[in-house]
Amino acid sequence: MEKITFKVQRYNPDKDKKPYTQVFTIPFKHGMTVLDGLIYIKENVDNTLSFRSSCRMGICGSCGMLINNLPMLACHTPIEELKKDTITVKSLPNFPIVRDLVADLSSLFAKHKSIKPYMMPHDMAEAEKPTAEFLQEQLQLEEFVQFAYCVKCGLCMAACPTVATDKHFLGPQPLAQAYRYSADRRDCGAKERFHETDTPHGIWLCHLAGACSEACPKGVDPALALQLLKRAMISDSLRLRKKPAPPSVAQPQAEKKPKVAVPEFTIKRPGAKS
Amino acid sequence: MREVHWKLLQYIAGIGIFFLVGYHLIFSHFQSDEITEWSSVSDRAANAGWLTFYVLILIFGIYHVLHGIRGIILEFSLPPSAVKVLDWSIVLIGVAVFGYAVYIPINGFIG
Repeated sequence: MEKITFKVQRYNPDKDKKPYTQVFTIPFKHGMTVLDGLIYIKENVDNTLSFRSSCRMGICGSCGMLINNLPMLACHTPIEELKKDTITVKSLPNFPIVRDLVADLSSLFAKHKSIKPYMMPHDMAEAEKPTAEFLQEQLQLEEFVQFAYCVKCGLCMAACPTVATDKHFLGPQPLAQAYRYSADRRDCGAKERFHETDTPHGIWLCHLAGACSEACPKGVDPALALQLLKRAMISDSLRLRKKPAPPSVAQPQAEKKPKVAVPEFTIKRPGAKS
Repeated sequence: MREVHWKLLQYIAGIGIFFLVGYHLIFSHFQSDEITEWSSVSDRAANAGWLTFYVLILIFGIYHVLHGIRGIILEFSLPPSAVKVLDWSIVLIGVAVFGYAVYIPINGFIG
């Protein structure tokens, strides 16, 4: 394969009534990702093409797009893995288009904010002026750690069939994060989060289609988080949920090890005082 | 009541339907020589146990169906004011259907 064809969605809300497709054929290099192809187009063919990207290594979650009709991170998708000569690239569905491939993710962030995605500690005084670190056992960490890998790219929201039909539905990302924080032993805000997710457009509209877990580029399983959240909420409503004990604070070390002295410079600069 | 309670009742109704309809199928159709007609239902409903059984099937069935329909309608991005209208409409429909359907076993019980 020497050439690759990109069918890219173009849309400028100031000029165009609806999105249209523009075709670009560019040289192919071994190991090239979809993002590399888009950057090539922007730098060499059409500098008006708009897309969002940053880290180029699947960490920042900026380059979420609909690639060959599946939501993926462009930087995380090698062209060879698609096994096609033609690649269709569109902006993420279930979000308004800002321009070309740039989706407006503000609804995702607003929903994410609504579930209070932060630690609500048991001991506010200790949290504000910590004397030592909170202890957490490995098993306690494993209850939520995979859900903490979320990069907020919005791919799960783009894949979710319920978000597609109900724009008020909270969606897999905020709900999975509601579970992530509620399952953390250092947090005591589960009740508040349950209140936010227990609405007509909240968690109970999830059909467990599992598309969110299929789409996640970080291996997070939001569908599992939603099921665990449902279980926690039902247990809580029946008063069967055990209130997690506040985490203990690590004991201060009895003897502090002496700090290792900074070694002397081995190279003496001319004119430096010895 | 919160959404979680309504959903919990939905699960309970689903489990209830599974066992009650299963019992009904086994004892009224597979193991019985009764003819499937109005008089058989009416005769069985003369017994207080069967009357309770039929009323429970009705309650579980109507609740499960209407709560499910509510979930489907909610997906049309209904605003909060419309959700209230929907909830009250569902309650009214449920009461009306129950009132109409419960007449048959009650009538059989009274004779």
